[in-house]
This record gives sequence, structure tokens and C-alpha cells, in this order.
Amino acid sequence: MTRGIQSLLLLALTAAAPALELPPGVMPVGDRLAPALQLDDLDGNAYDLAENGGHWRFVHFWASWCGPCRREMPGIQRIIPLVEHTGIEFVLVNTAETEDEVFSFLGIVAPDLVPLMDHDGLVTELWQPRGLPATFLVDPGGHIRYQALGGRSWEQPAYLEFLRALPGPATARSAGNK
Amino acid sequence: MPVLTRTCAIVLIASAGLLPCPVTAVDRTLQGPSFEDNRLLIRVVPRTPEQIAAFYEARGFPPAALERIRQTCFVTVFIKNKGNDVLWLDLDHWSFSRDGEPLALLDDEFWQTQWDAIGLRQASRSTFGWTRLPRVRDLQHDEPVGGNVAFPGTTRALEVEAVFQTGADRKGAPVRLGLGRVPCMKSTAQP
Repeated sequence: MTRGIQSLLLLALTAAAPALELPPGVMPVGDRLAPALQLDDLDGNAYDLAENGGHWRFVHFWASWCGPCRREMPGIQRIIPLVEHTGIEFVLVNTAETEDEVFSFLGIVAPDLVPLMDHDGLVTELWQPRGLPATFLVDPGGHIRYQALGGRSWEQPAYLEFLRALPGPATARSAGNK
Repeated sequence: MPVLTRTCAIVLIASAGLLPCPVTAVDRTLQGPSFEDNRLLIRVVPRTPEQIAAFYEARGFPPAALERIRQTCFVTVFIKNKGNDVLWLDLDHWSFSRDGEPLALLDDEFWQTQWDAIGLRQASRSTFGWTRLPRVRDLQHDEPVGGNVAFPGTTRALEVEAVFQTGADRKGAPVRLGLGRVPCMKSTAQP
């Protein structure tokens, strides 16, 4: 019952929010419930998206062989402290690579990030990204509200302002970043 | 270094009629056609069997998979929708031919059969899938897409005509691009 009331409150908060100005390449996504996302991170810690509601999630799929992913990742690391006060949780999902591949790559370009490991790539397929990299913004109630098409520099003011303006409770929580 | 060559090697044909041939900047190092106007950018990059096999070998693909990959013609296609209207990538609307004969690209079913035959692990199937050009995509303003397209055989050039429907409902004026000859790169390995 309590969880139901919380969900209603979250829904009301999200629905009552004024329309956000979308920066280039960010598209609204109707009302799609986020697919399951239960994975271990690079350090072996279990994570379940469904158990981490109550705040916005920045769910990002990537692979080290993908050029745009390589260019985008350092910027993602840099914006995490810039939007920390909003409570947005960064959930980074590596698609179908090994720990060695991920460790070698992130150790150089974004050493503070600890991604979830989608070893066989099946969780990524559930989410149906339009390609890699792919970013989904999941609202506090667990619905995908926006997706970003391809890679970008999230440090640009338009993107930072967009992330900071996402409505909802600012329940600080982080995963995918130390 | 980009050089201006192949004027009219890529011919833009709108449904309303033939438009003036654009002068297209072609980078010789790419050895494949490219085209850009205010609606779209498309670039086709042929790959040698060694290039494409090395990419997948570095991702842990087993020898049996690499052998199958070497037996096919791979080209990497990059497209960006520069217009404000939706641009539809739908490979079913593209035409491919070789020596005047229609040619089918190697589709999902083909690769599924190959990978089942050698028991390729799921992670490699996933990686292979994400490196392929999607068969259908409604490209939004400024949205890029890229990936590999594969054909049977490894040496003879292809003729490619790309057709993009436009508009959210696909009912806008289509964009037709004759990409000319797209080479299948020969092996660079020493005999």
C-alpha cells in the first residue's frame, strides 16, 4: 500500500512538472516502463534498477569498441559531480564485453566509473536502444521519459540545464560512479 | 587529404526529377563513395577481410567465426540526418547489384545460421549485431547511424542505390542516391 501511494505521488510530481526544453538529440519517450535491469557491476556488486526508484536514473549503454562511446565517456564522468545535488543516479551498462576489456578502457578514459556488466548483451537488447551509445532517462516512478540519440557532450550548458531541471524528488543516490 | 573527384559519381535524384549533380568531396583514403547535402550525409567505407577480421578477433571472436567473416564483403556505412524531417533508413528499399544482377545482403537469418553452426557465444553475437547497420531506422533530426553491411563474395564491386523515405509517415518525397560502384576490398595478406 505504502509503495502504491509513493508511486502515485511520484507520478503526480512528474505529471505536474512544466514541459522541459529538450536539448538537441534528446527525444521524449511516451510512457514506457523501464525493462528489467539486474546486473553486477565491475566490482561484483549486485544492482537492480527496480529496487532503486524514487529518483531519476541516467541509464547509459556503451561498449569500448564504439567510437562515439569512447568520446562520450569522459564527459559523463565529469558531469556526475556537476549534477550530484539533483540526485540523478548514473547507471552505466557495458554491453557484452569482458572485465579486462572494460577495465583497460575505463582505466584510461574514465577511471572513476564503475559500470554494470551485461556480459551476454541480453539486458541491452531488452532495452532496445537505437544503437550504441544510448542513454535513457528513467523517472522516479520507473518509466523511461527521454532518450538521447547517439553520443554527445553532456557538459554543454543545454544538457546540464536539462538534467538539472528534471522534476521529482532529489533523493541522493549513486551507482556506476564511486 | 580530401580532394574533389567523381563529380556525378554520386547522383542525387529526387522524386520530382533529376537534380543537378552535386560536386562531392571524396576522401581518397576511404576508397568508397560519400555524399553530403543539407538533408543528409552518407559515407561508405569498404573494409578488407583482414581489417574486419582483426576487429572481431580483438573482441574474442573464435577462428571459425573469423573464417566466415573473411568470406564476405563488408562495407561500413555511416549516415546522418541533417534535415528537420524524419529520414527513413530501410535497407529493404535499397537496391544492390553485382555485374548487373540483383544481389541480396547477408541478413539476420544468414548470420544466425552461421553462428548456430559454430556455437558462437551470446556475447559475440550481441557485439556482432551492434556493429551491423540497422535494417530499419527512423532517423530524427541530427541523428547519426552507422554499421556494417555484408554481402556474399569478397572481391567484385557492388552497385548500390540508396533510397530514403521521408516524413514521420514515410509519405514525404523520397531521396534517391546512386552510390555508384562500391568496391569489395581484396585481401591484403601475402600468399
